[in-house]
Amino acid sequence: MTILRLNLFFLVLPALVYIVGFSFFPTIYAVYLSFQSPHGGFSLANYRELIYFNVGGAIVDTVLVTVGALLLQLAIGFLVASVLTREFFGKRVVSTITIIPMGVATVVAAVTFSFIFQTSGGYANTLIHVITGGSVNWYSSSLSSLLVVMVADSWKNTPIVSLILLAGMTSIPKELYYSAALDGAGPIRRFIHVTLPNLRSFIGVALILRGVQEFNIFALPLILIGDHPPLLTTLVYNLYTTTFPEVGLALAAATVLLGFILVFMGVVIKLTGGKE
Amino acid sequence: MKWVNLASIVILMYFLFPLYILFLLAFNSTKFTILARYPSLLPEGLTLANLMASLQGSAFIDPFLKSLETATLVGIITVVLAIPAGYGLSRMPRSLAYPILITLLVTNMMPAIVIGIPIAVEFIKLHLFETVPGLALAQTLITLPLATFILQGTFSSIPRELESQARIDGAGLARLMSSVLLPLAGPGIAAAFLISWMFSWDEFTYAILIIPFHSTLPVTIYSDVTRGNLLAGIAFSLVFTLPVVAITLALQKYLKGEYLTGGIKG
Repeated sequence: MTILRLNLFFLVLPALVYIVGFSFFPTIYAVYLSFQSPHGGFSLANYRELIYFNVGGAIVDTVLVTVGALLLQLAIGFLVASVLTREFFGKRVVSTITIIPMGVATVVAAVTFSFIFQTSGGYANTLIHVITGGSVNWYSSSLSSLLVVMVADSWKNTPIVSLILLAGMTSIPKELYYSAALDGAGPIRRFIHVTLPNLRSFIGVALILRGVQEFNIFALPLILIGDHPPLLTTLVYNLYTTTFPEVGLALAAATVLLGFILVFMGVVIKLTGGKE
Repeated sequence: MKWVNLASIVILMYFLFPLYILFLLAFNSTKFTILARYPSLLPEGLTLANLMASLQGSAFIDPFLKSLETATLVGIITVVLAIPAGYGLSRMPRSLAYPILITLLVTNMMPAIVIGIPIAVEFIKLHLFETVPGLALAQTLITLPLATFILQGTFSSIPRELESQARIDGAGLARLMSSVLLPLAGPGIAAAFLISWMFSWDEFTYAILIIPFHSTLPVTIYSDVTRGNLLAGIAFSLVFTLPVVAITLALQKYLKGEYLTGGIKG
């Protein structure tokens, strides 16, 4: 029996070594390098220098985009999932179309949205121009620029959120809704008192899966707003391309990003109460 | 049931609008799209000229082939490693399999831009920088945990009695794999391959760090659009999107929330 178990372990070993070796070690190495001075030896010089590159602003903007995009995706995801739990004519078509963005590359979504939202003109402005006669510069403030990124990101990534929420909603026994309705609860109270508590772990999974990816959001802001304003990822990339082959400064920014991701994962797991 | 129909219409418009815009950009005459301050929201002056002009020559075919090679290589490496791992995990006691799966999935969450920079630096020394195998090795980091997860589920659903029967008949592990397990796990393996393929086809962060110069399609689209080569960017985007949308629709039944959440019961 132990021999068999050992055999099984050897089957798993290559994949495990590959993943752990190839991602843990570079990550640890990246953190280590970020604390090295150019002449060797421990130093905070990279982090001190980061302050001149508006790392504070990048942190605030990254958190803003993460929270905003998550809220948008949860809201739209809930709408899609609630519709898809019903039976109605044309349901198959709706459920097929709501997963299409999964098949559209992030870069393609970014390019398309860059034509929808332009500094002057663009497709969104065509609509606004027809209705009001005016037009909007979507990139006039950093907040509105970030909003464009959030909208584009939500379009691309709502499907995965709605799939997870749908899996959760279909697992809630119908009887709970019947008895809540008998007790006189309306649709909104049923949502708050029956749906939400039963979906806790599913919302948690969606938040972790998407939240980590939101912190890592890269191609979309790079194409839509370049680095005005910078997010942590675009800041890392910008520092990397401008200082290469010196990577210390970029890795210091990357370490800040990593720290935020780990903190975020901890908070979400705590809030939604892990599996046990 | 009225609100459901209304909500469906809103949802359909939300999901289809950007695709419709991509269609207009690709097929409308340029004077109604990129040359207009307020581009037309209707099909006008439909033409194939935009696509024809952009898709000819090596500007398109080189990155296209590079994407194709990388994605196929990622699919192969992933499946080759994930089949034994998925099988091993499915036959291990849960107390041992569970921590391994969690380790794989947590590692999966390490940001590509953090891992990618040291890897790129190492790859320069190893002569893997600017190469397809180098990029494929990096992208497999993300596809392997997911594929292992899927195949672990696939192998778990194959009854052990079949295996013990084959063992009694004298089949070794290799024989067992080739004539019992692999045929039964076929659909799961195909799904794992396609999901990995698709992931690599879309991947941007590792691609721009590891093959920055003569890159795959996503990076090429990015550099075309930022250099003002808009028509090429649009045409590539369209051609790039069609196969993936087709695969997504083919895989629809595998794209279930249950898979993604690891079978949590509410």
